[in-house]
Amino acid sequence: MPDPIIVLENLRKAYGSTIAANDLNLAIPRGEIFGFLGANGAGKTTTIRMLCGLTRPTSGHGFIDGLDVWTDRYKIRSKFGYVAQKFSLYPDLTVTENLEFFGGAFRVPDGTLGPRIETLLKQMDLVGKRDAMAGSLSGGMKQLLALACALVHSPPLLFLDEPTSGLDPVHRQQLWNLLYDLGNAGTTIFVTTHYMDEAERCTEVGFVREGRLLVKESPRKLKASFKSKLLELEIDPVMPALAALRSAPGVLDATLRSGHARIYAADPESLLREWQRAWPFPDLKLISHTWVEPDMEDVFKAWSQGYTQLLDRTAS
Amino acid sequence: MNIRSIWNAVASVALKEFLHVWRDKRILALILVLPPFFTLLFGYAFEATELTGVRAVIVDHDQSDHSAKLIAALEKKKTFAWKKLKDIAGDPDLLSLHASAALVIPKEWAATLEAGAPMPLKLFLDGTDATSAEELEGRLREMLGDFQGHDDVQELTVKPLLEELPAEVFDAMKAMTPDGRAKLKVEFQKLVKPWQPETRILYNPGLRFIDYVTPGIIGLILQLLTVTLTACTIAREREAGTLAQLIVTPLRRVEIVIGKVLPYLGISLFLIGVTIGVAYFHFGVHFRQPFMLGLICLLFLLCSLGSGLLISAFCHTQTQAIQFAVFYLLPVFPLSGAFAPIERLPDSVRLVSDIFPLTHFCEAFRMANLRNADISFFAGDLLFLAIGAIVTCGGAAWILSRTDA
Repeated sequence: MPDPIIVLENLRKAYGSTIAANDLNLAIPRGEIFGFLGANGAGKTTTIRMLCGLTRPTSGHGFIDGLDVWTDRYKIRSKFGYVAQKFSLYPDLTVTENLEFFGGAFRVPDGTLGPRIETLLKQMDLVGKRDAMAGSLSGGMKQLLALACALVHSPPLLFLDEPTSGLDPVHRQQLWNLLYDLGNAGTTIFVTTHYMDEAERCTEVGFVREGRLLVKESPRKLKASFKSKLLELEIDPVMPALAALRSAPGVLDATLRSGHARIYAADPESLLREWQRAWPFPDLKLISHTWVEPDMEDVFKAWSQGYTQLLDRTAS
Repeated sequence: MNIRSIWNAVASVALKEFLHVWRDKRILALILVLPPFFTLLFGYAFEATELTGVRAVIVDHDQSDHSAKLIAALEKKKTFAWKKLKDIAGDPDLLSLHASAALVIPKEWAATLEAGAPMPLKLFLDGTDATSAEELEGRLREMLGDFQGHDDVQELTVKPLLEELPAEVFDAMKAMTPDGRAKLKVEFQKLVKPWQPETRILYNPGLRFIDYVTPGIIGLILQLLTVTLTACTIAREREAGTLAQLIVTPLRRVEIVIGKVLPYLGISLFLIGVTIGVAYFHFGVHFRQPFMLGLICLLFLLCSLGSGLLISAFCHTQTQAIQFAVFYLLPVFPLSGAFAPIERLPDSVRLVSDIFPLTHFCEAFRMANLRNADISFFAGDLLFLAIGAIVTCGGAAWILSRTDA
């Protein structure tokens, strides 16, 4: 890989007997939008906090631009921006005062700070709110301001910890468009998310479960890692059908997708043949079936639930 | 890293920190109103500490000329507001008499006085407040001493003494030279005249308690404000998550600490000015060595602000920080010598007193202001405050980056 900006080598963080990050190995090339996916408590935030030098790794190393994220943490702080999971700006300062404070803290030279703030206000669509208290902004605007504060020193790398959680779809879209623009301009982005449509926009995605990195691939390759298409059944009524299917032998899980029951099973074809021969649920009516392409949600489910039977592991 | 860049970074933090106070109108009102208000309140409270008009009962069983004279002499002083009672059975019940003291002149007192061996007067005191009881006893002793020193009483006590002398003494005296007689007279006077010191009070000639207590008032108010205000600053950021945001900036910990101290230092220096103004214009307290007092105040404030920051860096939430601040401030009130001299405390407790910045502030302030002393007399206190400022601010900076829960 040509000159990665982030490198993790057996990076581990343990809180007592709980291992939040378990010997992570990872290399992220410059200009990538890397999506870090995992359930709550999988170790995403801990990893970002270690990379930002906020938490000392228990063992192993992380490097940003070749500098150790712990021992050289004071040196690398101007190289990245960080948007925390929780809104963490000063609510009693105005939008511009927040930007000016972080500009000063990041030692943006006096002459360039003013124009930089104007550019960011325009970019984030916050010009009309420049003198509003940060605390009075809507959730979406707060997040845009947080992004602006993280970008005030034009860093080559950006860490975002669930930046869109709790945002409405419009602001989510706006934020991702901004991230795209940044990515196109060469900024490397390390983002954690719960939203699969967002994962699909990343150039690469890493799944983490119980502190372990399970896989790191492009979304396209990840979706191709399924052994087969997924079975979807049209059943009436559908809600009791889900519960019944989940407890049926051979079925790992069943979820509701657009009114249909999507089945996760190691061998869906033989299941379907069996059900067509003898449908085991007399109260439920099987109307039709289709085969669908797995999407990112299916990929995430398979990886995070450990349904390795569904995956062709050689593909990744 | 040049000076200009460091200054810009510190100024960013200081401005932000100032805006937090400026925008919080309730805190701002508190800061601006409380110091002058408390200065007035404490000032009046401690302006006069002499006990006056203490309710007391006097029972005269004797009903003689002498006892009447004694009562008249006692009534001249304002310490007690005497109420005369005819009779009392047994020990007086001070509570139902609504009195703090009772003086009983026994029957035949005048007769024993004339016989040269007066029987003791009985004094009953309410000891609930030990300090006041002692003070009242002292006052009464003083009054009785004055009464005793009075000429006609002296005559009463000395005359019988003379009359009892055997005739041989007078014969011997007649045989003495005038010189020897004069000498004997002096010796005799020495025996019966009470000793009287000629007192001259130095440093606080008016014996004004307000002059003594002024540094206590200034120090207490300022310490209360600075410690509680700064105790919240880092804890608040830790609680809100902004501390992590602050730490991922290239700001150095020292820059953060200095930036956080500066606005509060400015505010509290202003408040010291206000308090001193009230003390000077309203209570007529004089201030000497203004430059030295300024230095003492500055070091004390740095030390107090540092203590607050140290508490703040150590605590995870503002609630914890306020709790710690209260428990830090509480022992300072009785133990720092702000209102009562620490010389009254036992040695072991004074060791504890010595770790409070306020103790050293009061000591140095009184040395410089009341006694107009040279710096060499309180250099130790200044040194303690300076070291305290460095240790607390440094400690806060050291703990600051600890963000792991």
